[in-house]
Amino acid sequence: MTKGKRLAGTIIIPVLVLIITNVICMSRGVTMFENSLNWLTFARAVANVSLVTFALSINLNSGRFDFSVGSIALLSSVFSATLAVNHELSPVVMLALSLLFGMLLGLASGLVYVTVKLPPMIVSLAVALFYEGMAYHFTKGHGVSFINNRELLDFASIPNYLIIIAVALIFMIIVFDHTTFGYEYKALQSGQKVSVNIGINEKKNTVICYAIAGLLMGAQGFVSSTTTGSIQMALNFGSIGPMFMAFLPMFIGGYIGRFSNDKLGYLLGAVSTSLISLLYVRLDVNSSVQQVVSALLLVGFLIFLNNENRIKNLFRKH
Amino acid sequence: MKSMKKVLVLMLSLLLVVGMFGCSKDNDGSGKSTDGIDDSTNVKIGVLVADATGAEALAFRSYYENYIQKQYNVTFMYSDELADAAAEASAIDNFIANNCKAIISFASADRPAQIRKCAENKVYYAVATGTLSDEEYKEFKDNEYYVGAIGPDLYTEYLAGYNMAKYYLDQGKTKFAVFGGATPYYVDMHIYRTAGILVALCEAGGGNYNGASDMGSMIGTIYGMNCQLTPAVIGSVELVSYIGGYDFDDAWFGKLAEAANNPSVEVLLAVGSGLDTFAAFKKPNQFLGTVDAYTADAVKAMEAGTLNYLAGKFSASIGPIFMATLSAVQGKPIRTANGEALALSQGYWVATSADEAKNFYAVDSSTTDPAYTRAMLDTLFGASYDDFAKFVGAFSFEEIQNLKK
Repeated sequence: MTKGKRLAGTIIIPVLVLIITNVICMSRGVTMFENSLNWLTFARAVANVSLVTFALSINLNSGRFDFSVGSIALLSSVFSATLAVNHELSPVVMLALSLLFGMLLGLASGLVYVTVKLPPMIVSLAVALFYEGMAYHFTKGHGVSFINNRELLDFASIPNYLIIIAVALIFMIIVFDHTTFGYEYKALQSGQKVSVNIGINEKKNTVICYAIAGLLMGAQGFVSSTTTGSIQMALNFGSIGPMFMAFLPMFIGGYIGRFSNDKLGYLLGAVSTSLISLLYVRLDVNSSVQQVVSALLLVGFLIFLNNENRIKNLFRKH
Repeated sequence: MKSMKKVLVLMLSLLLVVGMFGCSKDNDGSGKSTDGIDDSTNVKIGVLVADATGAEALAFRSYYENYIQKQYNVTFMYSDELADAAAEASAIDNFIANNCKAIISFASADRPAQIRKCAENKVYYAVATGTLSDEEYKEFKDNEYYVGAIGPDLYTEYLAGYNMAKYYLDQGKTKFAVFGGATPYYVDMHIYRTAGILVALCEAGGGNYNGASDMGSMIGTIYGMNCQLTPAVIGSVELVSYIGGYDFDDAWFGKLAEAANNPSVEVLLAVGSGLDTFAAFKKPNQFLGTVDAYTADAVKAMEAGTLNYLAGKFSASIGPIFMATLSAVQGKPIRTANGEALALSQGYWVATSADEAKNFYAVDSSTTDPAYTRAMLDTLFGASYDDFAKFVGAFSFEEIQNLKK
């Protein structure tokens, strides 16, 4: 594949989305990026979506559907925010705590999975319920509020979000593309039996995957909680919601991954969906329309992926 | 082998029977009796909840579990968070199986079905912090197992929104951003509060909102817009931004931030959850008013100037409906002169300063001396309808403090 083709394949979706969203905005007399707040909204969305996408992709690419990622974000942010509020900690310390708690909760989730040996979907549902219950019990159902703590709320800035996004991307590329763990992870993906036979410890690799996913969700929980200054409780799988925002960027990332690095693809997928989110904001699209459009985009993209060759042939004939 | 099986079945059956009696056995209470209340027999009451995590829901639960349950020989059994009518029906089945004598409902997916199910099983049913529609009340008012409903009626909800907006309009504010809460989900309570805000804007601005300017037409207009409202200039005032729903996604956060960051917006009004929505985005020169619960965080927010107006239900407001339910279970139902069920309205406590909010919260959160104490509630046991209605009607903070004296 030529460099030009790789570059084109990498950027075509986000560029197309950028053009289409801008054209829609202009046709309604609205400027997409009118002020710094629009950039802030966009950056926050990219940070949120890319973190969840990275986290979800780690296990999903290995065939492990993990419903517990949202509950890890919830519980890790509950722990870190409670400590931060009670001990007047800085946002950086709260972020570090969120990462630590997220990693530990992910690790625990992974250990449960490799110990009980039940299907990952069932284990992750149980873990999600357990973590939701823990968060509810820990806060006595009240959640955590720090709306009066300006220092924590002021973390929500474009440079901070950009740093989080960049660090997360670099971390993902280094860990999964440049370490022994990453090579083993890829080997297990392509042939589990052979990999185990040549001495790769699949359980260790799996547990580390869960821990890394937890770490990323710790960061997402931090970003999410510092947006509104409050953490609402979720019960009966109420924490699963954030997981669904990662599907479209994951599929887009998978497509871009053919031309470039798949982690960069996930980020560009997050950029594309965040542009659509900003479009909803700028045009004040109500939530029911948003849901319909998002569902259509997801289904449409899946149809495209499944019929890619047929579509290409169609154009070639003409 | 066969005889072994028979013995096993017999033993299991015996265990089941003993277990059932054990579960349904009435606990001995203190045995004391005040104003005719039978404290010797434990009364199990099921509580249906649609919200298990909201500040208001938690305050109500705390009042029942940490005060009422300790004062009376009653046991409250709470349901899980009920999402729909099927979940409500299942929870009622569970309560009935657990020998609950009455059910107090905070869930409203299908109230008629709840009442019918309770009545069929001879279990008393009451609505807390809500009301039935006129049609529903007409259908069930004569049912002996329907105790009644006490809570803000829809007009009170309308007034909560109206008074909140008027408070700022009277100060000369003209540019508003409104969070409509669950209005897009067709939740009456929030629709009426939103309508109240819009009518107040119409009155002050001398204009109309999509042709509506009074309560009736405004409700019709909101429904006509499929509960998806839009900003509008209303005479000399302006609804600069409007956000509805609880999406908690990036677009939703973005819309809240845009509304609050609009330089022309002077006042942010929320028909619910104002602290969890607008507070983080509010600018120092803006004002924030909300209908919500009295919590420690809300008091802190008022002290910090983040929140400036709070209309909240007080947690003990569900005390009278408990007493009406207990009265019915113990054979002294409180009915109107015509033998009809209760249908009484209660209003909000409104705080416009940190000191007021602090006073309200101190009383509201107390588990030893709440707004309605046992001594006060005991006077309602088997009371006449008029006395009961008079007690419920005196719901303001000052009136309740006077009642205490």
